[in-house]
Amino acid sequence: MDFASPPFHTLAQATLGPEAIALLSASAISAAGLALLMQPSRKSSSNPSDKFRLDGLRIAGTVIALAGFAMLLVEVIKRATTDGEASTIPPVFPMIFGTIALAGAARMVTHPKPVFAALYFILVVIATAGMFLLLGAEFMAFALIIVYAGAILITYMFVLMLAQQSPVEGVGDAWYDRVPRESISAVFVGFVMLATLADAYFSGTTQKFLADRRVDGETRSVESAWDRLDAMPKLLLETARDAYATQWKAERAAAATSATAGIDAAAPTLASIVRKADGTALSRMDGGRSVEAKLADGNSVVVSIPDTMLPDNSRQVGVDLVSKFPAGLEIAGVVLLMALFGAVILARKQIELGEDERRGLAGMRRITVDGEAGGLR
Amino acid sequence: MNEALSSLPTAVSPLTFASSDAATINIALLVSALLFACGLVGFLSRRNMIIMFLCTELMFQAAALAMIAFGKVHGDLSGQVFVIFILTVAAAEAALALGLVVLLYRRRETLDSEAWSELREA
Repeated sequence: MDFASPPFHTLAQATLGPEAIALLSASAISAAGLALLMQPSRKSSSNPSDKFRLDGLRIAGTVIALAGFAMLLVEVIKRATTDGEASTIPPVFPMIFGTIALAGAARMVTHPKPVFAALYFILVVIATAGMFLLLGAEFMAFALIIVYAGAILITYMFVLMLAQQSPVEGVGDAWYDRVPRESISAVFVGFVMLATLADAYFSGTTQKFLADRRVDGETRSVESAWDRLDAMPKLLLETARDAYATQWKAERAAAATSATAGIDAAAPTLASIVRKADGTALSRMDGGRSVEAKLADGNSVVVSIPDTMLPDNSRQVGVDLVSKFPAGLEIAGVVLLMALFGAVILARKQIELGEDERRGLAGMRRITVDGEAGGLR
Repeated sequence: MNEALSSLPTAVSPLTFASSDAATINIALLVSALLFACGLVGFLSRRNMIIMFLCTELMFQAAALAMIAFGKVHGDLSGQVFVIFILTVAAAEAALALGLVVLLYRRRETLDSEAWSELREA
């Protein structure tokens, strides 16, 4: 692993070649589109006939932002290389999910109604979860939907409903929701951020580095998946049992030309896995791993487990979480607990106590003379 | 048999339907960069405090997407484990930030962040 010399070149070293200029101009175009979208709508919600009138500025912004995004997509796909050759099949699903996510994000940033902005954020979360699925992170995809769209966003909605003033009749949404603050400068800062990130991600050196890593990343993910299975004795035994059942059936079917009777009989159950001297159980074989196991009668058999029977993503993430980052897991628990306390203390209603109530709470005698509360009784 | 299996494209291989081809990863990185930029723009330009915090959540999403994409490149699950931690921090942040927003709202009866602009220096 050569992490000492990262391929991400700094902007100071960057030369503005035609490649970089194409990326920069595409970023600039999408930023300009976003800037147009951010301008407050000139439609007034008080006039009902205005409601369906199309806003020219908004349409122009949408078209320009989409054009910029399409240019960026084309640039980015053009730079993706496999073994030195550009990809031929355009990845349809990532493009669809990416477009949904970005449209949702743009609308969330520009929408004058906070509740709608929160709903658009849920759209972004769901589209991102789709991207996670495409990248092989199934557990995180569903955890994201459950935790983000299900829990965090509901909290946001709750607070929005709690704190949002109802729109005044004839005025529409609150002023501070309609008019953005310094939208041009904000979009410029966003553009600089985007240009830097895009230049770092999609420059030739980074793309070459990523292509190199990807080649052994494929095999490494399978290798480490086998290692994780090896570290889970119970799951290993279950997997070996499943694999042995199919293997036994296939063997019986192959030998069944003379005696067809016993095919339907169940395979004998594996009792235990035999570990080798170095503590590992799995040995390499073509297209998977093989493991030696003991049957209930003491005979040992060799079971071959194909690559398709690897543990699924959520089990692997779980093993990695507790074996590689146990301290992080504990700290995450503490952070959540502290956040719980903090939220309770922050949101508690502050009641101003007078001198007398404080005396009463402290267990001292109250000094009130009038009224029935407290008093000298 | 095994050769036939391994010659199938990754997208339909029974091992995983996830594709790790370069274009997918590049698109994921692009979407992550754009989402982060959108979140940054929103945080800087919106005045509603709740929306500002929502925009930081958008930036969290972008970071999570980048982590998972790079984790896919390296064939490593640490990226996904880190996204769990991001999720934890996001949940804690949401709880605290919203408590704070409720507190600030009670004081000024508005969600406008400019209402608190006297807190800044000079």
